[in-house]
Amino acid sequence: MMTGSEMVLEARELSRVFTRGSESIRAVNNVSLSIRRGEFVSFMGPSGSGKTTLVNLLGCLDNPTTGELDLAGRNIFGGGKVLSERKLTKVRRELFGYIFQNFYLIHTLTVRENVALPLAFYRKPGAEAEVEKLLKMLGMEHRLDHLPGQISGGEMQRVAIARALVNSPEVLLADEPTGNLDTKRSVEIGEILQDLNRNRALTIVMVSHNPELARLGGRRIEMRDGQAYDV
Amino acid sequence: MRLIAVTTISLALLTCFVAASAALAAVACDLNDADRDVPRLFPNSTSFSSIYVSIEKRGGAPLLKRIENRLGTSYLPLYAPIDVPYTLYEIYRGKEKVGYIHGVNQKGQFGGIQLFMAQDLNGRIKTFYIQKITGASAGKFRDPKFTRKFVGLSLKDFDAYDPVTGRGTGKIAEITNPAPEMETDFYGVLRGLKKNLILMDEFIYSREHGKP
Amino acid sequence: MITPFQIAYKNLLRKKVRTLLTLVGIMLSTWVLVSLFGFNRGYEKALNRDIDNMGYQLMVMAKGCPYEAATMMLQGGKGLRYMEQSMVNDISREPEVDKITPILMQAFFDPNKGESGGIAGYFGVDPASYPAMKPFFRFRSGGWFHDESAAEVVMGYEAAELEQRAVGDLTLVPEKNVRLKVVGILERTGTQDDGTIFVPLKTLQRIAGTSKITTIGISVKKDADMARLENKLYQLKDVQVVSFSQVKQTIMKLIATARVMVLSIALIAVLIAMVGVVNTVLMSVLERVQEIGILKTMGAMPGDIFRLVWTETLILCVGGGIAGIGFALLFARVTDILVRRILPYAPSGGLVAIDGRLALLTLATIVTVGLLSGLYPAWKAGRVRPLDSIRREG
Repeated sequence: MMTGSEMVLEARELSRVFTRGSESIRAVNNVSLSIRRGEFVSFMGPSGSGKTTLVNLLGCLDNPTTGELDLAGRNIFGGGKVLSERKLTKVRRELFGYIFQNFYLIHTLTVRENVALPLAFYRKPGAEAEVEKLLKMLGMEHRLDHLPGQISGGEMQRVAIARALVNSPEVLLADEPTGNLDTKRSVEIGEILQDLNRNRALTIVMVSHNPELARLGGRRIEMRDGQAYDV
Repeated sequence: MRLIAVTTISLALLTCFVAASAALAAVACDLNDADRDVPRLFPNSTSFSSIYVSIEKRGGAPLLKRIENRLGTSYLPLYAPIDVPYTLYEIYRGKEKVGYIHGVNQKGQFGGIQLFMAQDLNGRIKTFYIQKITGASAGKFRDPKFTRKFVGLSLKDFDAYDPVTGRGTGKIAEITNPAPEMETDFYGVLRGLKKNLILMDEFIYSREHGKP
Repeated sequence: MITPFQIAYKNLLRKKVRTLLTLVGIMLSTWVLVSLFGFNRGYEKALNRDIDNMGYQLMVMAKGCPYEAATMMLQGGKGLRYMEQSMVNDISREPEVDKITPILMQAFFDPNKGESGGIAGYFGVDPASYPAMKPFFRFRSGGWFHDESAAEVVMGYEAAELEQRAVGDLTLVPEKNVRLKVVGILERTGTQDDGTIFVPLKTLQRIAGTSKITTIGISVKKDADMARLENKLYQLKDVQVVSFSQVKQTIMKLIATARVMVLSIALIAVLIAMVGVVNTVLMSVLERVQEIGILKTMGAMPGDIFRLVWTETLILCVGGGIAGIGFALLFARVTDILVRRILPYAPSGGLVAIDGRLALLTLATIVTVGLLSGLYPAWKAGRVRPLDSIRREG
């Protein structure tokens, strides 16, 4: 086991260039940063500043154009190598849990089934027991057999969080987790994330427009024109 | 050459099998060619429809018993199980129903007798037709000279005449046997006719007049 | 907790109407296919049974005779050709012959049948050799003739019913006015024998005023070379040989032509059903690109997604296939009746024979074709990248 002070995520001169026709856009430009185990990092910045693109690179959802990335001490990207979808999937399911603004629950499956869904493809030892434990922890034990259409937006995001955590990831990647929620629910979700960070020592990497929410993170990074600045 | 021969033979056999099965499929008493026979038996009719009536559907065992009582079972067997459908032709002139044609099987000395009668709506015989009868002088029974004698008769006329004993009075008693050498068949024809009239009375007339 | 099968199954429930229509398509094509396969086997079986019930595999007739003999019933026996009865002895010397029997077919005109008269057909058979050819005949009452020239008849079930004859009753040969006594009535066989009136050969010859016969029935020894015997019989003068195996082959050939057409239609039906499957599954993949992407962020490998989508195809095909086979079994009788209306000659008994093996074979065919058509949508789904589903920000 690694200790809390170790780097769980280390990016060196990471760049991502999108080409549209003859134009190329450098969405992430030479970003170098490190995130320690147990850190709660918020990425902020205006639309188009590249924060989501960066987080996608950090979360192995995308290959960088140039640069290197080490995850949990293991080199993932570097020396121009491009990982196949299979290899990326392997990294992702070992290390990451993801939540998104739109929750992306499957509407034909119950709350319990949605949370258990990742286990149909990959399960870490003991993960099955996590399903109900997590839902209980997130205050959803009375909704186990409800369908997503029968619960509120805040509850849906809790289900999505439980689903992201069911395989005990090292890092929770949250992309605008409260973007679709009202203030009250946003605060609730923020508190949940803070609890997870504090009590489970879960590393959280979050993208948010919301300054209140961003403030929950112990560390804030401001994105401007594809570059990252610690605040 | 040989293939052609075999094909021809095969087709011929097919024809044969089909013809044989078509000819023998109907053992119930149907007109051989209703489209041709109905206008002949019921002049002035314009159309007909075939309905199928069985004792089982019309009243089951009690009806069967009643019919058998009216027939006198030991002399006038029905020759048909309770569930066998009788073909009954309803005759129309334009849209108006004008009568019925119905046939029964009756046993003759040398073969089955098939007796058809066309009746008006009051149960009076309009035409009497023997579709099939076997015997050396069988033709005499089919001769219009004989069959015409039945025109105008109805079930009532059998009140005064018993075709089992051959005794009685009235119009039927006056009809003489055209072929004395075929006595069995003469009485067969009369019995078959009575049976036909009784069946029609049970199936149609007593129903229409609300009698039991 | 939740299996990929459940995910696939629940996904199909999302668009119930679409899934149902696809299922109906598969069901109908399976129905057609299994009925057709079943018909193939059933028809041949029924034809074999009919031909076996003839009791003999070869029939020898005077040249030019078969056609007339077959239509004897329709044409009133005009143009029947005869051959010498001594031929029976000649042929019986052939080593391949197991049993042999002479037959005389005769038709008499009965003026008192129907409006303008009809034909009464009689089958003159040899009491010594004919019954052995028909060991499966069962008597409803009575039995065979008392001697070879008795004035007696044995009636097929339907012939007896039509004539209202019981054992002991008399019959009359029309035209000739000869009285014959009913000594036996056969049980129903479901073949043309039901409508036949059998008379001892000698009696019929006497009535018809001939010493000849029209037909010789030959049953061939087991394992004997039938073709060789046929060739030898062809050498006989003025003789036509009908081999029931040839007749069967010819009928089967005629049927085969029709079958190929129906099979093509069935294949087109299967193809259409499969296009339906591709459409349904592909649509559902395209609608779910986002969701599939999310499944990938959860750790689903391309292979997992491929299998998931393929499972949907499998469920559709197995479900529709089983329903189709069920319907085919349920409505086999209806299919039978329909087929009988279409075919020129349909043997007696069930024409559509569907058994477990056939059902499984059809199901396997449908599932295989279905899985092949599911390949493309499944492959396409497997290639969805997680990023495709997630909001992009420059």
